[in-house]
Parts: sequence; structure tokens; C-alpha cells
Amino acid sequence: MIKDMISEWLTRLRFLVKRPKPADLDDELKFHVEQATAANAAAGMAPEEARRRALVEFGGVERAREQCHEQRPGWWLGTVAQDVHYALRGFRRNPVFTITVLATLALGIGATTAVFSVVDRILFRSLPYAHDNRLVSVGLVQSLERQEFMLGGFYYEWQDNQRPFTSMTFEHGTYECSITQANPVYLQCADVAQNFLPTLGVSPELGRNFTPEEDLPNGPKVAMISDGLWLSRYNRDPGVLNKTIMIDDHAVRIIGVLPRDFEMPRLQETDIVRPAAFDIAAQHTVNSGIGWPIWAFARLKPGVSIQEARSEMEPLFLHTQQWIPAQFRNEFKLQVRSIRDRQMQDAYTVAWILLGAVFAVLLIACANVASLFSARGAARERELAVRSALGASRGRLIRQTLTEAFLLAATGAAAGCVLAEILLRIFIAIAPTGVPFLANARLDVRIVLFAVLISLLCAALFGIMPALEKPRATALVGRQTKSGAHARLRRVLVAAQIGISVVLLSGASLLVKSFWNLEQQNLGMQTRDVLTLHIPLNWERYPSGQAYMNFYLRVEAALRRLPGIAAVGMTNSLPPDANSWHGGRRLADIFIGGKPSTPPGTGGTVVARMVTPDYFRVLQIPIVQGRGFTEEERSSSSDFIILSKLLAAQLFPQGDAIGQHIQFANYNPYFVLDGPVFTIVGVAADVKNAGLAAQDEPEYYELRSNHHPESWDQHHIFLLESTLPVSVVTPWIRSQIAQLDPTAPAEIGVLSQDVHKLADRPRFETALLGFFALCGLAMAVIGLYGVIAFVAAQRTQEIGVRMALGATRLDILRLIAGEGVRLIVLGGVVGLAAALATVQLLKSLLFNVGPYDPAIYAAVAVLLALVALTATLIPARTAMKVEPVEALRYE
Amino acid sequence: LSNIEGSEMPPSTDLLQGTLDLLILQTLALGPMHGWGVAQRIQQVSNEVLQIGQGSLYPALHRLEYKGWIQADWGNSENNRRAKFYSLTVTGRQQLEAELDTWERLSSAIGLVLSRVPEASA
Repeated sequence: MIKDMISEWLTRLRFLVKRPKPADLDDELKFHVEQATAANAAAGMAPEEARRRALVEFGGVERAREQCHEQRPGWWLGTVAQDVHYALRGFRRNPVFTITVLATLALGIGATTAVFSVVDRILFRSLPYAHDNRLVSVGLVQSLERQEFMLGGFYYEWQDNQRPFTSMTFEHGTYECSITQANPVYLQCADVAQNFLPTLGVSPELGRNFTPEEDLPNGPKVAMISDGLWLSRYNRDPGVLNKTIMIDDHAVRIIGVLPRDFEMPRLQETDIVRPAAFDIAAQHTVNSGIGWPIWAFARLKPGVSIQEARSEMEPLFLHTQQWIPAQFRNEFKLQVRSIRDRQMQDAYTVAWILLGAVFAVLLIACANVASLFSARGAARERELAVRSALGASRGRLIRQTLTEAFLLAATGAAAGCVLAEILLRIFIAIAPTGVPFLANARLDVRIVLFAVLISLLCAALFGIMPALEKPRATALVGRQTKSGAHARLRRVLVAAQIGISVVLLSGASLLVKSFWNLEQQNLGMQTRDVLTLHIPLNWERYPSGQAYMNFYLRVEAALRRLPGIAAVGMTNSLPPDANSWHGGRRLADIFIGGKPSTPPGTGGTVVARMVTPDYFRVLQIPIVQGRGFTEEERSSSSDFIILSKLLAAQLFPQGDAIGQHIQFANYNPYFVLDGPVFTIVGVAADVKNAGLAAQDEPEYYELRSNHHPESWDQHHIFLLESTLPVSVVTPWIRSQIAQLDPTAPAEIGVLSQDVHKLADRPRFETALLGFFALCGLAMAVIGLYGVIAFVAAQRTQEIGVRMALGATRLDILRLIAGEGVRLIVLGGVVGLAAALATVQLLKSLLFNVGPYDPAIYAAVAVLLALVALTATLIPARTAMKVEPVEALRYE
Repeated sequence: LSNIEGSEMPPSTDLLQGTLDLLILQTLALGPMHGWGVAQRIQQVSNEVLQIGQGSLYPALHRLEYKGWIQADWGNSENNRRAKFYSLTVTGRQQLEAELDTWERLSSAIGLVLSRVPEASA
């Protein structure tokens, strides 16, 4: 049976390849007629009559021949080829239509695919944990740390008494560690609870999880290694299990390998995971009695929502809150949120906005393709009628239209894929580093298919419509008989495109203005020609604050001797980035003359920096009251401090800050006031110190003094005011440092570039949304142009009649342009209303510009009116120039 | 062959789709034949009831050839004219038997429904 089928298929295949000669069929049919003639003659007819009879009996030779052809396998393919040829000819005849459709499709598909490939990783990526949507991050937040964390002293209380979770676990953060044996290597180690992997639902790729004994203090030293380390160091040798390696000079046994896709819930790089081995009792004594900071995660019980879990945890939180010192007890809040939310932070908002923008672009693209096809369909009504009259079946006409739609969609999709790949690379290149997973975003095949399908549907639906209606005989005559429903649909589509692009434009303009404000704002300090120098020192070579201080002071002296360096300042942190490391204090911890500066329980934080006198000189931060630090004060045994204007106004509303003495509260573990007493010598102007977009925070500057060597550490930045170009100074700086310590790496940066980088994120958002808005506007304008040009062409004859009856050219212009203006006004008004309704979503991204900024909307309206009117006037002018005689002869 | 005035005869019974194929196969089972011969043969055997129009004969022959049930060779006709001769292939012979079975089952079933003794099975 199967053999039969195969042989039948082979026969068909043979005939598919081998075309029978048309002459053979002719011969065969001719033979038949001759035989019939002969038979007739034998029956006694005259030769002439016999042949005539035979031909009559035979019927249509042509028809028979065609039917024989149709039997051939692959005949159907031939008609497809015919349709394709026909479509291609049509496209060549109408290049504007073709190019417009292709560009629209490519842009729509390309932009959608590229953006979706980016946001898919952010919004819809599944985390590499079993049932990842049941996992939450649980902890405390407060004004100095807005990402929830946990305290060892509270954790065990919560873990033992909680009800909403099936299990709770924690990690103790990652830290640098090294394999200290043959081939030493720097790695990232993470300490985790024993039930960390089981709670996340991660099982080791090889080996086993930690046992409870291994998580006890002084338990057996064991570790799990990452898949990456297993590959790079052991070449995936399964014999790695139970091997002993030296980590930071301790012998540790490898008991397992983490799965390839493993990642820490907070996304830290991790090569080695070890049991935290906490001494639970000690958590109530270390770190002022509140325990080590840790990060807790939990798995929700089935049916428990995050909100329910939060309210169930509230009593436990309130119970443990009593252990926090009263001064800042009320600053702490409970936080329970999904791990995904914790990972993505505000990337969420941006991702949703981008997704919305890109769907708007896809919508415009679809509307555009639909209205273009609809216009073309209407214009071809006559052609379809002719073909139908010549014998083309309905099915054939529909297939023809579908072939065209499919050809365009396929070509557009191919171009769209190329465009998507290019766009994606551009996105990755210009993206700020803060957007998680962006760097490894890849084109998503599913979404390419989705976008292609949508466009194909649009094209097919609107392309088929004219073919579905039986072409009316009147269409043959060529009288203007446009089906009004289609024309109305096209107008609605164009108005919708204009409306959507107004929404996009408004959003983009708001972001552009916000970005402009961000870039142009006064930082309160000079960033041009300021070099930063950071020297990360190895703590093993510099074991004490004294060692750090000695080295940094020698570097300072060496730098000051360099030509072209006008001043050298030192600080332990730099504005304006709020996310880079900097010191901080609670406002309530500041004491003036031994008394609290503010009523207890007052919230608020203060930025703290330790600087040298030249800090103010290099950054050109003016001292507005009192004086700056002097070089002599650095080696004095007293302590000096400068307040920012904001802090001075808060602490000393009377303006009598200079000469006052302040102190900071310590907790070890209970409140004491034993720190150094600082004398206020000056008040400095405010600088941007909480990120580019945020409100300035109050700040104070401690003088970095030589009699507190214990305060010197790896947080140390040199600020250089240079009169020579960076490229000249850099090698000099490097050689100076190499002379002092050849192993010390020098990281040299330009402050203005670092500040510029802070604006990467808003620049990225603005560029993308701006790009989409322009795409949308371009497509909407093309759509508008297409419809007006079409209407003008359709009415050529009418225009001729009108002009023959005495209408002026201006009347004609008004007639045609009026159509466009109506669409622009309708679309514009609807779009503005929609923009005002949705722009609230952008609020968190805007800086110094309200979402309802009237200037923006006015600008959008003017831009739209200008561009759209141009698109209307070009075809309208063409219509105006119609010669009445020509137009009447148009038939 | 005497009353060839076919056009004056009542319209021939419309053949069921697939029945024509069966008739052609059955006819060709006797030996290689050209199109004209097949048509004449069917007409004769059926006592002029079944007249095969050329419009359906040749497409059917081609269809069967494309299916591989019959094969065609050019040869000389009885009056020494170049003609296309069709003959059954092995597959075609198997197909014929299968279709004859089906046909007999079908026609006796129809006969039962029409409550008449089917003559065809006799």
C-alpha cells in the first residue's frame, strides 16, 4: 500500500518536473478528429460533411486542451506563479503605493519586534525558579535604604511565626573572594541560608544542596559552584564533586554545581555559594543588637496574594519594630513584593510605556496598510469588473488579491526583520547600563510572526473587500460609483492615525522637554575640565586606615607637583549621582551643643561627605557664609565642618550657624554622644546631590583630617583641576602612581562625562519615544496624503464639470483641501483628548515639566497642523491645476 | 456505428465522478488503446447508452496518466497514423480491481435500497 503511494507520488513528481509537450496533446486531439472524420466518411458522408460533423461533435478544442492541462500536477502552482507575475507588474506600475506599503510594514514590524524583544525580557521573562510568580522579597525599607532588606535579629522571629509563606529564606549578600591555590582567581561568593535553593525551587545540576549540619557555625566547610566556574576551571568534569579547594585560605569541599541558568534573586554575579552558617543567638548582639543585614525571600502559600501576605506579616513587623531604637523606629516600613518587581524597579514603567508606544506605531501601520489597500481596491473596481467579465472566477480574483497582500506582507516582514535587528543593536548600544537584561536581548521569532500576521490580516481583510463584492456591471462603464462605506472607513482610519500620532507626539515632546531641562539645569558645581581619579587598593596590602592615609597623602603631594594641575581636592564621594556610594546621616542624629537639633521622630536624611579644602575650589562650589577649610586645619587636632545652605537653613533658621558646635549620635548598641565635636566654619551653596532629577538633599562636609587615620578607607576620589587636555595629563598621573605603588590601578575619568552618563536613561527613553512618535507621524501623514490624493483623483471628472460650470481654482482647492482639514481637525482633537487622558502615565519620568504643559500641546498641534496641511495641499494643488477639458475627456 | 447521429439521441446519463475512470480502466484492461478507441469501445459495449464526450475523456485519460495508473506510448494506429496508445500499469490493474470491488458493493447496496434484484451482480 505504502509502496503504491510512493510510486504514485514519484509519478506525480516526474510529471511535475517534466512538462508534457503541448504539440503532443494537439496531435492526440487531431488524431481523434481524424478518426471521427474517417468514421463519418465510412458511414457514407461526403468528406467535407464528415469533417464538419466530426468537429461539431468534438466541441471546443480549446476547452478540452485547457482541461487536460488542468489535470497536470502543479498546474495550481502555475496559476500562483501567474498571480505573482501579475502582482509584481501591478507593483511596478504603482511604485508609490508599493513603496509606501513596504515602508509602513517594515517600520511597523521592525519597531514592534525590536521593542518587544527588549521589553519581553523585562516584563514577561520567566525567572529561573520553579513557580516564580509565588516568590516574594520580604523586608524593611527606610529613608536611607529604599530597597527592602532584612535584619538577622528580626529574621528568625519572622521565620518562626509567619503564616502566609510555605518557607522563608535569605541570602547574606555577595563579596569578593578568591581561590588561593594554583591558578588563583578573583570570584564573587554568596552566603545563603540552608533552605535558600529549595525555597527558590532550584535543584543543583550536579551534587546536592547543603545539609542543616553544614549551615551550623563551625560546621563542615562546603560550597556549590556556578556552572560558569565548573566549565572554566573544571571543564565540566563530574569528578569535581567532593574536591577540596582553597577559598581565601580555607579548605572548602565542593558538594554541588548550580544550574546553568541560576541567578541570585537580586541578580548579583555569583561564582560560589556557601552556607551562611549564622549563629542565631549572636544575631541579637551583633550590629547594635539588630543583627547583620540580610535579604529575605519567601514562597507564598497557594491562594495567598501578596497583599494578604503583607497584612499577615504586619503584626510580626510591628512586634519586632519595638527593638529598633526609638529615634528612628517610625522610619521603618514593611515591604513585600514580587522578586520580579524588586529586580525591575522603575524599568517597569519605561517598559510599559515603550510597549504602548510601539503598539500605537503598529496600529498606525495597520491602519495605513488597510487604508492604502482599500483605496487601491476602490481604484481597481473597474479592473476587477473587466477581469470578471472576461471569465475570471470570484475565487481567482480573491486569490489574486491575497497573493498581492501576501507578497507585500512577506517582503515587508523581511525588511522589518532586518530593521528590527538593526534597531535592536542600536537600542543595546545606546541603552544605559541600568536596564536589566537589555544587553542580551535577542530578536523574538514569536513576535516577528505575530507582527507579520497582524499586518497580513489587515492587508488581506481590506484587500479582499472589493473582490468579495460582485463587480457591478456599472463599474465597467467607469462612472464614479464609489461604495461610500469604504470611503468612510478610509477617512476613519486616517483620522485614527492622526489621533494616535498626536498621543505619541505629545508624550515624546514632554520627554524631550523634560530631558532638555535635565541637561540644562544648574548643577551648582563645575564639571568641565575636572578629572576624577580613583585608586582601588588591595586591602591585603593596605590593612589599616593609616596605610590608606599615608598612600593617599603621598599621591596628593605627587599630583600637586604635576604641571597643568591647578588644584587637587580629595573626597570620599561625588555628587550628583545618588546611587553611587556616599555617606549619610539621619537629621535626628545631629546634636547642636549637646541638644537634639530636631524634635525626636523627625524623619529626613542628610548627605555626608569627607573632603579636603580644595574640593570647593575644584568644583567651584561657592561658600556663601563664613569661610572654606584651610590647609592648616587638616593637621589641626580640632574638627571642622561646612554645612550646605539647605542644611544650615534647617538647623539654624536664624542664620547663626557659623561658630556653632555640632555632634553626631552613635549607637553601639545604645545611644551615646561620644563622637568628635565639629565647629561650623562655613555654609556652602547647594549642589545637585540626589541624582539629576531629584530634589536636592541637605548636606554637610567634614574636613578630612589627618588625626583621624581610622576614617580613611577605599572610598577615596581625587578631583583634579587640569589646564591641559586629559590625554596629556593621564599618562603623567599614571606614572606618578606607578612610582608610589606599581600594583595600584588608577581609574581616571572626566567628571562632565560621568555626569553626562547619568542622563543616559532619560536620553534613551526620550530617543526611543521620539523615534516612535516621528515614525507614527510620518505614517499618519503618508496615510493622509494617500487618501487625499486618491479622493482628488477620483473626483477629477467632477472637478472638470465644476470648473466648466464656473468654479474657480480656489474653489477646487477648498473642495479638496477641506476634506483633509476635516480629517486633521477630527483626528487632532480626538488625539489631544486621548493624550491628556493617558499622559499621566509618563509623570514619573518627567523632570521640571508638568504632564499638562500647555506649551507642549500647542507645539504638537502646530507641528501636526503644518505637516498634515502640507500633505493635504500637495494633492489638492494637483487637483486645482486640472484642465477642465482634460478632465471631461477622462473617460 | 450505423446511427452515429448521436446529437439527436437523448442526453447520455451523467456519469458519476470516478465512474468514468473505472470505465476507462476496465476498457484498457483488454489491451493498449488510443483515446478514440476507448470512447468507441465504451459506446459499443454499453449499446450506445454511454457516450463519452471528448471534453471529459481526454482530461480523464491525462489525469489517470498523471496518477500513474495508465501509461501512454506513441505508436502507429491501424491506419498507420501516429497515435497515443494508453495501457494499464501494474498500479492501474490493482486500482481497477479495488474499484470494481467497491463498485459491486455499491451497486448491490443501491439495488437493495431500490428493492430490485441488481442485474449487474448476476
